Amino acid sequence: MSSIRGNVSPLIRADHLTRTFGARVAVEDLSLEVGGGEILALLGPNGAGKTTTLRMLAGLIAPTAGAVSVHGETMDRSTAARLRGHIGLLTEAPGLWERLTVRENLLVYARLQGLDAPATRVERALDLFEIRDRAGDLAAELSKGLKQRVALARTLLHNPDILLLDEPTSGLDPESARDVRELVVRLREEGRAVLLSTHHLDEVDRIATRVAVLSTRLIAADTPAALRGQLFGVRVRITVTGDAQMYVSALERIGVPDVRVVDNVMSIDLSQIPADIPAVVRALVGAGAEIEAVTPEQPPLEDVYLRLLSDRLATQHEPRA
Amino acid sequence: MNRIAALVGKDLADLRRHPGLFWPAGLTAAIALVLPFVVAIVIPRLTGELLSDSSDFQIAAEMYRSQSGARDLDPEGAIQAWILQQFLPLLVLAPVAGSMAIAAASVVGEKQARTLEPLLATPITTFELLAAKVLGALLPSIALTVVCFGCYVGLAAAVARPGVFWILLGSRSLAVAFLLGPLAALAALQLAVCVSSRTNDARSAQQIGALVILPLGGVLVAQLTGSFTLTVPVTLSIAAALLLFDALLMWIGIALFDRESILTRWK
Repeated sequence: MSSIRGNVSPLIRADHLTRTFGARVAVEDLSLEVGGGEILALLGPNGAGKTTTLRMLAGLIAPTAGAVSVHGETMDRSTAARLRGHIGLLTEAPGLWERLTVRENLLVYARLQGLDAPATRVERALDLFEIRDRAGDLAAELSKGLKQRVALARTLLHNPDILLLDEPTSGLDPESARDVRELVVRLREEGRAVLLSTHHLDEVDRIATRVAVLSTRLIAADTPAALRGQLFGVRVRITVTGDAQMYVSALERIGVPDVRVVDNVMSIDLSQIPADIPAVVRALVGAGAEIEAVTPEQPPLEDVYLRLLSDRLATQHEPRA
Repeated sequence: MNRIAALVGKDLADLRRHPGLFWPAGLTAAIALVLPFVVAIVIPRLTGELLSDSSDFQIAAEMYRSQSGARDLDPEGAIQAWILQQFLPLLVLAPVAGSMAIAAASVVGEKQARTLEPLLATPITTFELLAAKVLGALLPSIALTVVCFGCYVGLAAAVARPGVFWILLGSRSLAVAFLLGPLAALAALQLAVCVSSRTNDARSAQQIGALVILPLGGVLVAQLTGSFTLTVPVTLSIAAALLLFDALLMWIGIALFDRESILTRWK
């Protein structure tokens, strides 16, 4: 079973979701949950089943097996339309009606969502997303970043507490991408549950509280720091004055087995030794080292992601006993 | 109803900004509007030969004048009224044929523009979606029919023999224009929307939707040959059958509309 559980009570939950298209399995036995104030990033290569997962969670397509529940209520044919009211889905493409103005686009959606005082809600959204000055422009005239912002405004018009965002920064310039990221963080701070599918690993590192790596099945799921720790250990980098090689023996004496040295920098794996950082520092100072800095060493999330995928590939190709 | 109104409003706003989509309808309607007057008024005036002088038309005129409302017309006026009334189904169907482009692109167009997925993520039901798409094509078609019919009667008042335009305002013409026409349009457009939701090519939907036009085209030909007349009772009977057919088409449309296939298999 592939599973990920959060620490807070879930607003949306997937239990053993499987979806096949003919003979092709798009998603297999996926369980996850997202609570309020969380951003769960869904990572995976193209065709890993990320969009299919989001569509199942949004109630757009039914799982072949398993179930989705929203606020503890199972989504089925009879409840899907109502439960969709709790969910805001941002599709990969902004999907705006190009010949309608920004205001008209939002107004149609406000009415489709059955909101009271739709015009007021739209005016509020225009202010909130800082798009009032473009409200009268046709959607076709907007830049990609602005379109995405309008699409986000549309996604949030009905004030959903669950957000499913399919590659929200895909194709955006760095400034627009930063705006979208800030907005997503703001949504988390407001207590919403955010499930974000993306290929941008630096983005995940900056904003996600948890990460799920998907390749049809769930490969791994945890906080970015915990995934790093599981795969690469907990390493620290110690910068000393002079040649760091001179102090390796001092560390070996307190049981540090794997010391990597480059010039005046040594890197050690804390997860493999009985000592803590103060003990390491004491040992080095005792050996005469002048310590300039002690910093945690973080492998890029990309390394974590690629390692997970290659491990998965290796497992798949292992000959069966 | 609010969701249907919202989506219809969107489609009409879209059409206002892209009137080119309705040009085929306008052009077809213009031809259907002018053609009967060319036959009944322009050609006789150009040739200097009255239609009532033709022995073929005399028989038709006598039969036609036996009907109430047509008795006071002179022979030429009776023939003009007969021709204008026989061509009325063409005038009614022309806007429908034109609106087919709108209906055919309704669902597949949303898919191609990548606007369908966010739309389906709202609480809109399949009935609401299909009804809105049909109405978005039907309302412009009806509006064009009203304009065309007004022009038709106005032209008759201006250039035909006195009293002819009153015939066009009779119950028979009104039933054809405002009952049979919209119901036939509804059937054709529903069929086009149904097909639009099952295909990834708007042209297929347009061609299949046009099939509904064919029987009604047959009615026009049958009228012209004198083998069939759209009297008020006949028109009402056809309208009742069309009403049932329309309801059946909506039911079939909802049954055939497969959100999953549209989202996952269309490229």
